[in-house]
Amino acid sequence: MFKTYSSALPQSLSRGLVGATRQTPTPFIQFVRGKRTKKYDLSPAAQKLITQLSVLSASRKQPKMLKLCPEDFVKHNTVQEAYKLITRKRKKAENEKLKQQYESMKLACEDLSKVSPELFEAANKREVSKRFSLELRVPTNYPPNVPWYYDYTPESPEDKK
Amino acid sequence: MLSRIPIVTRALNPFEKEYFNYQAELERRLMRTFPQYYYFKKGTLAERKFLDIQNGVISKQPNVWYPKGIPDVKHGRDRRFKQNILIPGEEANKNDEKNLSRPIEVNARVTEADKTNNMSSLNRKLSHTLYLIVKEKDQWKFPSFNLESQSLHTAAEKGLVDLGGNQIKIWTVSNTPAAVIKYCEGELVAPTYESPDERIERHYIIKSHIVAGSFQPMNIEYKWVTNDEAASFFDNSYFQQVRHLLANF
Repeated sequence: MFKTYSSALPQSLSRGLVGATRQTPTPFIQFVRGKRTKKYDLSPAAQKLITQLSVLSASRKQPKMLKLCPEDFVKHNTVQEAYKLITRKRKKAENEKLKQQYESMKLACEDLSKVSPELFEAANKREVSKRFSLELRVPTNYPPNVPWYYDYTPESPEDKK
Repeated sequence: MLSRIPIVTRALNPFEKEYFNYQAELERRLMRTFPQYYYFKKGTLAERKFLDIQNGVISKQPNVWYPKGIPDVKHGRDRRFKQNILIPGEEANKNDEKNLSRPIEVNARVTEADKTNNMSSLNRKLSHTLYLIVKEKDQWKFPSFNLESQSLHTAAEKGLVDLGGNQIKIWTVSNTPAAVIKYCEGELVAPTYESPDERIERHYIIKSHIVAGSFQPMNIEYKWVTNDEAASFFDNSYFQQVRHLLANF
């Protein structure tokens, strides 16, 4: 960005921006305390672009770096470690349970294969295009206005066409 | 094994609650300043309403003593602190029921069924998984049905619909059995028990979810219980064989 100087612009004592041509940047700006005196006058498209870039960038929007005193630093680290420990324990227990579920499934299937080959076949047949039911909602933090839908009626085979 | 999945997220223990709170506050403190000039354009009515509501920021003036530290203000935000933005319209629209700007009122996580501890209700314990247990011969168990030349999962589905009425919708998790429970002459034995002479009665467990509808059995005692409550209803031996199938909360 560079200034161009045009020759002999009248210096007026009026408040705000000295009368200047619209497209070119003004060489002289009368500073007025408390008033926003624009340096450059841009086309609305350019101004819009600059605003968008400014919104995306972190310039002048970043807060001051958080500095912790040694005690606070130790406290912070302790808290983080405690949370990591809890999460680790929970995940480990969940993994253990999954392993047990797998073993139990394997045992059941082996037993079934010895007992009845047809049932074993039927149990292991690939369920083509199986999808989750639409009513299986993801749990939310607070329940919906109607927590459980009691008024279900099964659709008759005549309705399906 | 018919279950109702949780409707609401897991209840947090006190440490977790405080930790999440701490992390949220930290994030707020370290968040970038709200670009107010972009969302509320200069000179508009919306900007005026917005600015009217905000608490002002202490600006840095020369020759002023600031006992709480010299402010560092950029874009209308003191960089030393977390930015508090008040949303216009929330206070005013609190009582107006149709206005979209009104603050959100959350529903309670504890239902009436929770308060009365109604164990036959599906509305109870929204943050836990509920399992259907029935009383057979003075013993609480998962419901079981006889196999009549069907596959395991079809027998399970049909049996559950016969048991609870056809006003329920059931979704089977998988056709593959999750576990096998063996009875030898009425007594519970280990799943690995094998004997060619004696008669072994096998129960294969098929997992399914009740997804909608009202479960209304004719003349059988039933309850919807969480995993902890199931422990108190089942026999110890039965519970030990089945506990790995139950959810964590």
